[in-house]
Amino acid sequence: MSFDVFHGVLFGVLALAIVAGALAVVLMPRITQSALFMAFTFLCVAGMFVLLGAETMAAFQVLIYVGAITVLILYGVMFTPQRTGHALFQTQTPWAAIFVAGLTLPAVVFAFSFRDAPLIREFGGDLVPLGTSLFGEYAFAFEIASVLLLAAMVGAIVLVKRDED
Amino acid sequence: MPVGPLGIDPVAWAPLRLVLAVALALFLVLNGALLMIYLERKIQATIQDRIGPYHVGPFGLLQTFADALKLISKEDVKATATDSAFFLFAPAIVFSPMVASFVVIPFGPGIQGADLSIGVLYLTTLGSMAVLGIVIAGWASNNKYSLIGGLRSAGQLISYEVPQILALVTVVLVVGSLSMADITRWQQGPLVNFFVLPFAFICYFIAALAETNRTPFDLPEAESELVAGYLTEYSGMRWGTFLALTEYGEVTVVCSIMTTLWFGGWQGPGVDAFPLVGVLWFTLKVYAFVVAFMWIRATLPRLRIDQLMSFCWKLLIPLALVNLMVTATLLLAVPGTLLPIAVVNWLLVGGLLFALPAMQRRRLRGLRERLRASAA
Repeated sequence: MSFDVFHGVLFGVLALAIVAGALAVVLMPRITQSALFMAFTFLCVAGMFVLLGAETMAAFQVLIYVGAITVLILYGVMFTPQRTGHALFQTQTPWAAIFVAGLTLPAVVFAFSFRDAPLIREFGGDLVPLGTSLFGEYAFAFEIASVLLLAAMVGAIVLVKRDED
Repeated sequence: MPVGPLGIDPVAWAPLRLVLAVALALFLVLNGALLMIYLERKIQATIQDRIGPYHVGPFGLLQTFADALKLISKEDVKATATDSAFFLFAPAIVFSPMVASFVVIPFGPGIQGADLSIGVLYLTTLGSMAVLGIVIAGWASNNKYSLIGGLRSAGQLISYEVPQILALVTVVLVVGSLSMADITRWQQGPLVNFFVLPFAFICYFIAALAETNRTPFDLPEAESELVAGYLTEYSGMRWGTFLALTEYGEVTVVCSIMTTLWFGGWQGPGVDAFPLVGVLWFTLKVYAFVVAFMWIRATLPRLRIDQLMSFCWKLLIPLALVNLMVTATLLLAVPGTLLPIAVVNWLLVGGLLFALPAMQRRRLRGLRERLRASAA
């Protein structure tokens, strides 16, 4: 006996939860509810990471997406009243679905062509390999990304400050 | 066939272990909350020159039990204008990450739910999830005071997460591990991390007060200005789960983090001979911090929201960033000794103690100038 059975069951539950959560994000009438279901979907994706043995990625997923990004979205959305806003985005839903599906399907097919890629390493999501590759192999990309974020932040502050004068 | 502990099949042991761990964590949280509420009342009473609870049971010890029974037996009131599903789930969303935090807390040598290699990261992750529940509660209550409380909470918790994580990172840099058990074992002898990284500790202590919504940072639930903020619409045991269980549970968790990271966790005299003595040391250290939290609550007034934000972004985060950069540089520049890091950290503590009154004086000067200008 081993835990392989549980593994399959957990994968199935998580996959269903992710798809259901993502559907709820699109179909919920109020944008706050959508944001909350998005947090739920992110949590289930973190569960997927744990299942793949990448606990560090899962922790970062929850820390950044659930703890920071969803809260920031809610922070913005909360200034809208609760009972209005019905059917604001609803007429666009079918077109949006077609658009997203048209973009996603080729991407998924493309992703599945990497089945035997040599990039997949065992325990690659662990803390030490992740850290060494991030600050060793990909240090340049990492630094560039952080400088880009800093520039975006400074730009946002400058734009806001200009209005005050 | 491999045999697990107590001769139980490992496949059966794994779920059994989970149930046992959750039951133990709940036992600790529920009884800890009862005890801590009693302690809080008694300490506040002592500081305010009162007697505190003394009618129910010896020394009033059963007062909190009576209160818990009252809360459980109360009617579950739910206003019609609330968003029902989210309103009902919000306390659970705040409560469950707090219970899950108990998994990685090392109570004694080998007495730990799971020694995750990412222990500290796991704790910060769960800490950041509590914000979501509070924001949901504030929004789903459909009440402007609750909404303001939820918004304040989101702003406050996101801001104070930054110095909190920066303080944790300095300890992790010095120790070289994220595992709670490794961090405890690293601090052999009386020279615990506090003497090396006192500034990181003070930084974390202040941020932890803000993260647990304790005075002087209890703005999200400020009862005198926001009629209890996001808690306004809650009553009965839902309110009890929110305030009593979650708040005191979170206080226990942050105090355990402080104990483990800066004060050597379960290490103390006699632990090598009897491992269970470690649990005693750990509990004593944790409750020393809990009492400090209560002492602060009884003596300090609440901050204003702009003071809260400017203190975090203008003082705490820059100093924490300097601390992190200097620590990282010195670790690489002077390997083998922690003395320079300790010197810089103590200097930063001095800087913070000097900066606080200086900022206060500048603020008062500005206030006086504005008063004079309005009078003229």
